[in-house]
Amino acid sequence: MMMEPNSAPERSPWNTPVFWVFATLFALGAVTFIWGLSSHHPEKTWQTYLINFLLWSAIAQGGLLFSAVMHITKARWSGPLAGLSESFAAFFPLSFILFLLLFTGKMHVFPWLHEDLHGKEVWLNIPFLFTRDGIGLLILYILGFGYLFYALQLKLSNQGPGGRIRQIIFNQQQRKQLSDEKIRQKMTVWGGFYILAFAVVLSLIGFDLVMSMDPHWISTLFGAYHFVKSFFIGLGALIILAAIVQTQQGENTLLTPTHFHDVGKLFFGFCLLWADFFYVQLLVIYYGNIPEETYYIITRTMQAPWNKLAWGVFIVCFVGPFFILLNQKIKTKPLIMAVICSVIIIGMWFEHLLLLGPALSHGSASISLGFSDVVITLGFLGLMVLAIRFFLHIFPELCSVERAKQ
Amino acid sequence: MAPESHIMGLFKDEDQVVSALDALKTSPFKFIRVNTPIPSHKIMDALKLKKSKVGWFTLCGGILGFLAGFGLAIFTSTRWDMMVSGKPIVAIIPFVVVGFEATILFAVFGNVIGLLTQMRLPDQSWLQHYDPRCSGEHFGVLAACNAQQEEELKSFFAQRGADVTVFETG
Repeated sequence: MMMEPNSAPERSPWNTPVFWVFATLFALGAVTFIWGLSSHHPEKTWQTYLINFLLWSAIAQGGLLFSAVMHITKARWSGPLAGLSESFAAFFPLSFILFLLLFTGKMHVFPWLHEDLHGKEVWLNIPFLFTRDGIGLLILYILGFGYLFYALQLKLSNQGPGGRIRQIIFNQQQRKQLSDEKIRQKMTVWGGFYILAFAVVLSLIGFDLVMSMDPHWISTLFGAYHFVKSFFIGLGALIILAAIVQTQQGENTLLTPTHFHDVGKLFFGFCLLWADFFYVQLLVIYYGNIPEETYYIITRTMQAPWNKLAWGVFIVCFVGPFFILLNQKIKTKPLIMAVICSVIIIGMWFEHLLLLGPALSHGSASISLGFSDVVITLGFLGLMVLAIRFFLHIFPELCSVERAKQ
Repeated sequence: MAPESHIMGLFKDEDQVVSALDALKTSPFKFIRVNTPIPSHKIMDALKLKKSKVGWFTLCGGILGFLAGFGLAIFTSTRWDMMVSGKPIVAIIPFVVVGFEATILFAVFGNVIGLLTQMRLPDQSWLQHYDPRCSGEHFGVLAACNAQQEEELKSFFAQRGADVTVFETG
């Protein structure tokens, strides 16, 4: 059976006020970025770009991870949240393009380029770094799309908007006539490999694009710290998306306060895990007391101007959420949770700044953040929102019960 | 005072239990309790029970443990105040481990104390008017009424899809 486009006129996602707001944000961000590159300090613009690339890519990767983890663990509590989390995959192609763009700023992004690396040149050289990270991201995204391909087949109904991507998935579904059980088995394989790749590739990204900024500093746990953080902020973004969908569609979604409570508990758990991974690194460095390791922590937590930022990040991303999220009722309120998660994600933006800033600012006495940093960040936000809206427009089953196959 | 009849409606579906509980609230019958073979959020919500105080015991235990853990580490360090590897006598970072462990330990103690004091054991009253099917696949809703209303209460449960058990007045 061929899928016929729905006879009812579909409202174009490109002709709504929301689209124009976020498209404008993206355009402003892009213009500010290009303008920043031509200024006297292109390295600051590249620093903001790198922070945003890491943050928004982590949100997308961590978002899809939720669905894969729910499937592998056969969790049923997540309900419509798993479907919603799949929409974050729409950012994958953009993330890959943004990564390739990073290559053009290599002179400003990697402070170790002209340093004596004492033998680390074998690992830290531009061709090898971009090749391995590029291949890693490509594998991660292919596995993500492979998982998504089968996950969507389970949810797709024959009514819905037209569109090539939807048509391809639907045709595949019709041609192969796989049973639901067979599709779930394929999801298990692709999802399992996606989870493994998530841990490996995000560790690699953490080592190469964050830790290597201080090329003489080593923490073997840094990769794990990076991918746990990515899932943490991915969950935060998922809660925000779910809150927006529920506010917009009300009873048209299957989202209930119980879903928010449950995902809030998971979010709380990963808040603790993120802080734990920070602490276990700190404890080992503290006891070892080796100057090669301690300078990284001392610069960021004890010396101006970064020490205040470190305390700010610690309070905003851990202490505050810890005490607020102990409360059960707050976790069931979508809008309050959306605000808390937004604040934490902003806190995580600053956490990236804290990790990258001291190495990239070359001993600057102050943290120089300007209007352009805000606009570039909003540009990335615009890109993410447009990608998710595009995806949910093609696959409305993920956020609405109207067309979902029950 | 007229003797009370105790009647139990045995349901197989928890949604039926929830609707029976809602209807019982506006009926002249006296609701006694529900026996369920499994924990059920739906039934717990429908019962609108007062929130358990056990969580407060756990929280107080946790806070006490946090202070006790740090207190123990600081106290013992200051008893033998010799600097080792350049670390301060009162070193907060490693003491977090002791503080954390004691937080968990005391929170568990608080939780157990809370359970022991709040769960009203020993309580033999549930053995009265109990149907063993509630340990199998049935949810039992126990209600009481005047002897004259017995038939009314039986049909109340029967209309909602329950098997009815009438307990003899003791």
